[in-house]
Amino acid sequence: MDATQSLRYFGPELVLTAAIMAVLALDLGLTARGIERSRWPGIVALAGAAAAIGSAVRLLRVPAREWLFGRMLVFDGFSVYFKVLLGLALLAAVWMSLGSREVRGQPNEGEYFTLLLSSGLAMLLMAAAANLLMAYLSLEFASLTSYVLTGFLRHNRRSAEAALKYLIYGGVASGAMIYGMSWIFGLTGSMDYAGIAAGIAQLDDPSRGAFFLALVLVLAGFGYKVASVPFHMWAPDVYTGAPIPVTAFLAVGSKAAGFAMLLRFFHFGVGAAGPVGAVTRVPLLQLGTLLCAATMTLGNLAALSQQNMKRLLAYSSIAHAGYALLGFVVFADAGVQAVLFYLTVYYIMNLGAFWVVMLIANATGHEDLPSYRGLAWRGGALPALALAIFLFSLAGLPPLAGFVGKFYVFGAGVERGLIALVVVGVLNSVVSLYYYVRVVKTMFLDEPRAEDAPVHFALNDLAAVGLLSAATLVLGIRFDWLLARVETARRIFAG
Amino acid sequence: MPVTTAVFYLLAAVTLGSACGVAFGTNILYSAFALMGTFLGVAAIFVLLGADFLGVIQLFVYVGGILVLTLFAVMLTHRIDVQVSNRAVGRLPGLVVVGVVATWMIRVARAARWTEGQPGPPAATTAGIGDAFLGTYVLPFEVASVVLLAALIGAIVVSRKEVKG
Amino acid sequence: MKFQYVPVLIAFGLGGLVAAVFVAAGMFLGPRRPSPVKEAAFECGNPPSGPAWGRFSVKFYLTAILFIVFDVEVVFMYPWAVLFRPLGVFGLVEMSVFVLVLTVGLVYVWRKGALEWD
Repeated sequence: MDATQSLRYFGPELVLTAAIMAVLALDLGLTARGIERSRWPGIVALAGAAAAIGSAVRLLRVPAREWLFGRMLVFDGFSVYFKVLLGLALLAAVWMSLGSREVRGQPNEGEYFTLLLSSGLAMLLMAAAANLLMAYLSLEFASLTSYVLTGFLRHNRRSAEAALKYLIYGGVASGAMIYGMSWIFGLTGSMDYAGIAAGIAQLDDPSRGAFFLALVLVLAGFGYKVASVPFHMWAPDVYTGAPIPVTAFLAVGSKAAGFAMLLRFFHFGVGAAGPVGAVTRVPLLQLGTLLCAATMTLGNLAALSQQNMKRLLAYSSIAHAGYALLGFVVFADAGVQAVLFYLTVYYIMNLGAFWVVMLIANATGHEDLPSYRGLAWRGGALPALALAIFLFSLAGLPPLAGFVGKFYVFGAGVERGLIALVVVGVLNSVVSLYYYVRVVKTMFLDEPRAEDAPVHFALNDLAAVGLLSAATLVLGIRFDWLLARVETARRIFAG
Repeated sequence: MPVTTAVFYLLAAVTLGSACGVAFGTNILYSAFALMGTFLGVAAIFVLLGADFLGVIQLFVYVGGILVLTLFAVMLTHRIDVQVSNRAVGRLPGLVVVGVVATWMIRVARAARWTEGQPGPPAATTAGIGDAFLGTYVLPFEVASVVLLAALIGAIVVSRKEVKG
Repeated sequence: MKFQYVPVLIAFGLGGLVAAVFVAAGMFLGPRRPSPVKEAAFECGNPPSGPAWGRFSVKFYLTAILFIVFDVEVVFMYPWAVLFRPLGVFGLVEMSVFVLVLTVGLVYVWRKGALEWD
């Protein structure tokens, strides 16, 4: 489909681009009037994100499956589903930013929201990219904006340090990735995924060896985006140093976009030439299994001893990337479906957890666990309750959404015969229960000490958290609606 | 050995030699300058492969722009007189890893059958690139403008003034 | 092999050779009588003030980034200019969108005062 026709399926991206321009124009207007601080850039960004979601939701009803822009992007249920999810992540990040002390206290708010929207735009492109060039460009776009957002806090050494670490790890990972892509192009002579799939079918045996090496290199880039072991090292520092809304956006948005790329690349680019490319099947499955098991285990074990809530959630998000990878290793539609479901549930509960952490940081100025002591009994009963729901859901306890998510991922694994991996996953969930419960215990069972001041939360700040905790509860019981949505989105367009 | 191959290896040696200079130089400023050799080598390889436009761009953007930016960035830091910018930590294990990976790569690369373009008569590539940018690759092209915009905004954030008061 | 670029290669080689010969000649033939005045850094005749590697202002960085962004823009314009007529209105529209986005960036940087030097 050529460029002009493609625009019809390009609504969310166009809306976001317009929103970026609108925020810039507005910011200029404010500067001209000498207004230093204003809510308006954030509100325009919020409206932009909401409009993008609206546009994506309208596309949900379009049954077409098409190549867009001369085989750069793909339009299918899978990409639209991710666009809705990423739009929601963006919306939440903007909303959080509007209520964040860290962000609101800074100058350059206009730039902040511009970069946040740009980052969202890049992730939408990542979800639909079906061409190595577009994939790389959108991934770099997302990374570039994330680096700046991470280092946004002026006068905060941790923030600057996090940005630098992120940049260096990102540079190495994307360097490895584009080198691998050059090998793929050299071996198959094609950059779009369908062409690659056709090219793989023609490969002789030694070339498949080379192709496997290229895949390993490309996996470095994807692995870095979803924060899977061994490319996870940036995550704890970046999550701790970045402003909390950015951390939340990286944890749910960046990870989801990374998974969208990973799934599309392996199920369509590499996988279309047979079940997961008869090509490299054996080493790839083993490699995936290894990564998945290592990611779950390492994330959970490292989270056990964390005292900073952002750091704890960072390690927990690494572990959750591991659970989602289990669905990826299944290498079938059932696995894709499980990952989609899991990422949606993960969005709700993880976002909720970060949101509460932000509210508490706003109120107390602290993010470390001791400052949560007896929180429920000194004015923070509602946020503490919400956080408990999110954490229990993250641990995978029934009857919460996280349980259903894990159930589907593990179920897909069992069906595929990955029993050992599922056992590792279940054991990991048990381990993770320890550190999640530790937080809940600190909030509810520990006595507040004399130096712990009472805290106050405005009810309207808690609206979003209430919404998310309600979703966590409801999705734990009535998940058939989401399941039906996911089922239509799981079939990835294969040219 | 045909002339082309010989020239290629010569250029590759220049590129890699300078890259080693970047990696192992003890003064960060000299490392930044050694980067120029790498960029020039890559530009020459582009020209050798018939991608003359790309070669010129490489000179323009990398030598003329990125390198200057790198030098500025180096000069921005407090302590450029630090003599050891590359601390040698675990050089031996590093060498072992590099050796193993490189051996693996070279072996599979030599065994693989690569798709090769048809060698045609030399022609200016500019028109072809223009056609690709504004035809097939129009989306990446337009997205690139938004990426550049984001880079500009990001630069403002990174280099903003200290807040007064 | 593009033999058309062999002269360029020869020119580069000659240039390098000439530079090398001159430097070597200076090293081997010139007399060497160092004195403190000669060893001092040359700053247009003034006594040198401060170390040669002073810290640069962050403004240089912003200027360099701006330069690169518009450098890249011009690079993209060049192939378009070559194909201006065959691409027609569609090409013009595409290029205008590209330039417009970057112009927004320039206006923004300008109006925000990021180009002011003080």
